[in-house]
Amino acid sequence: MYELSHVTRNYQKGRRTVSAVRDLTLTIEDGEWLAVQGRTGHGKSTLLHLLGGLDRPSSGSISLNGRDLSNLKENQLVRVRSESFGYVFQTFNLVPTLSAAENVEAALVPMGVRGPERRRRVAAALESVGLADRMRHVPTELSGGQQQRVAIARAIVKEPKVLLADEPTGNLDEETRDDIVNLLEKLWLERGLTVILITHDSSVAKRAQRVGVMKNGNLSILRDSRRAKRREPEPTA
Amino acid sequence: MFFVTYLRRELRRRMRQSVFIMLGLALGVGLVVTVMAVSSGMQQAQGNVLQGLYGIGTDLTVTKSPPPFTASNNNGFRITMTPTGAQVCDNGKCSSGAQTIDNLNGLSYGPLPYSTIAEIAKLGKVQTAGGGLVLTDQQMTVPASVATGGALPTSTSFYVDGVDFTHSTLGPYTDGKVSTGRSFAAGDASSNVAEVDANYAAAHSLEVGSTVTVAKIPFTIIGLITQPQGSQPPDVYIPLARAQALATSQGKKLTGEVNSVYVAAVSAADIPTVQAEINKLLPSATVTSPSSLANEVTGSLANTTRLTKSLGRWLAILVLLTAFAVASLLTIAAVTRRVREFGTLKALGWRSRRVIAQVMGESLVVGVIGGLLGVGVGFAGSAAIEAVAPKLTATVVTATGQHLTSATPSGSTSYDPTITRTVPITMSAPVTLDAILLAVVLAVIGALLAGSIGSWRIARLRPADALARVA
Repeated sequence: MYELSHVTRNYQKGRRTVSAVRDLTLTIEDGEWLAVQGRTGHGKSTLLHLLGGLDRPSSGSISLNGRDLSNLKENQLVRVRSESFGYVFQTFNLVPTLSAAENVEAALVPMGVRGPERRRRVAAALESVGLADRMRHVPTELSGGQQQRVAIARAIVKEPKVLLADEPTGNLDEETRDDIVNLLEKLWLERGLTVILITHDSSVAKRAQRVGVMKNGNLSILRDSRRAKRREPEPTA
Repeated sequence: MFFVTYLRRELRRRMRQSVFIMLGLALGVGLVVTVMAVSSGMQQAQGNVLQGLYGIGTDLTVTKSPPPFTASNNNGFRITMTPTGAQVCDNGKCSSGAQTIDNLNGLSYGPLPYSTIAEIAKLGKVQTAGGGLVLTDQQMTVPASVATGGALPTSTSFYVDGVDFTHSTLGPYTDGKVSTGRSFAAGDASSNVAEVDANYAAAHSLEVGSTVTVAKIPFTIIGLITQPQGSQPPDVYIPLARAQALATSQGKKLTGEVNSVYVAAVSAADIPTVQAEINKLLPSATVTSPSSLANEVTGSLANTTRLTKSLGRWLAILVLLTAFAVASLLTIAAVTRRVREFGTLKALGWRSRRVIAQVMGESLVVGVIGGLLGVGVGFAGSAAIEAVAPKLTATVVTATGQHLTSATPSGSTSYDPTITRTVPITMSAPVTLDAILLAVVLAVIGALLAGSIGSWRIARLRPADALARVA
């Protein structure tokens, strides 16, 4: 469970101080799917980076299962990132010279997982996103949707507790967008992941249990259906 | 394996850039290798020239300067030509009129007692010592007189080495190989037999069995000696006892004397110590090492050596530094292009040092290949120099100790004859193992330096900032 307490993140812009996140207090439960909407430049990605240990707050604290991420040493934070967080980015961020399998494997490298176990987990991850037959393809040989699937496989191969997705459908067409969101929903339900998804697409946000809006660094919750019954995932293509 | 796969793929992706860096490093280190090869060849050539004077294995030579000639003393060999007559004086003993002179003298150096050799050999850090007589046989036909303004007679001369072959393993004689005939035997110590330098023999149509006149005495040639290319060997070798009996120095016979002592130290590090001890033992003697006599070697060999050391070295350093700078800039550019990629890897949990290791590994591969290519460039460069370089010459000028004057009522002219030996040197530029190793090390250092500059950026990279970059 995430507990954010009076979290602020400021940036210096010349003489001005810009608050990307202002005094945010929030609790995210285990297994929750939170979508954060908002216009560009209002702090959505900054919030995601703070939740994923990619950045540190200027003030306040961020705890994950009782562990204060904001006070961890860098090597401790790196360890948490390698074990607990899976990331999916808008531009996929695959290594262009590596194949689909090798890109997924890159997530297991810091965990010290050895050869046969590594190969098994990579194959299983690609299978779960429907790309078992594309293991040897490099990103330029894959469509946008396929690349994002590889990125999702990379995110889940280490069996993280939290999946952080920054505009995962931002570069995709409608049909592919729906496929990806369906896949994310399926994985969320099957694995009990905590999913935090940034999007400016309402049709994507509505699939989440809880939807918030970032405006000028402040988060407002628009809808909270966490207590409602979890629905079955929609079929994937 | 993932490390190697990633490395290989990345180098292949930026193949053109990697090749450019490799070629830059190759050019830089290739130039260094070539300059080192040329420098090594120059040093070898100079060493050969000097070894011809002193022999292989000689670390120091001990000589003594003769008293200088002045108008007020009678030292030395003086020939005075006037319109009324000629006078030949050998340290005050004069004879007049037309005559043929065949004078074997050691006027270049002063005499040292033969016992000096044993005294030096007893010094600490001296492995062995030997001695001999370095002589000049001067032949001149002196006319009865020379008209006012007329030319002074010229002399012909050749070097003679009085060889202590029964006791010494040092000196110019030991450096040569008998190509025809035989070398000196113990029984030759008091005989009028000679060994002749093969080049001198060819130039004067001499062979084994013919005779060469030294100090008006005919010596039978028993062998021809070949010396290393580029050396300055004596022309004729005769037994030391015969040289002592026939030669004079400042009008005195050289019985029981030598004028050069050759010394080998226990190790190269001991040379300065031995030099100091000999100076203490013989304060009036001159103790020199072959390297300190390098300044006496003039000619195009010396000029090329100086040029290689100054211009060649700085040019190589400049090109190498340029290659390093270009490699660094290109590596930084590559790292900058991959900021998002590295940020993603850090987000996946890669530590900075793992990302840095990847970048350094890529740089190391580029450096090693660049270094090996540089060795190839170096070999090609040195081969090209050996093929197209002009023949060089080494010139050594030695005083004969003689003094010629032409006196007239209105004044006099004079000169001190010298012997100038000019030896052709075939240019070589050997690539040594040291140069090869240095080439590879330099290339690797250059590439790692470039990689470390890029790595510094990676170490400071915050994942959030990297991911915020537009691809």
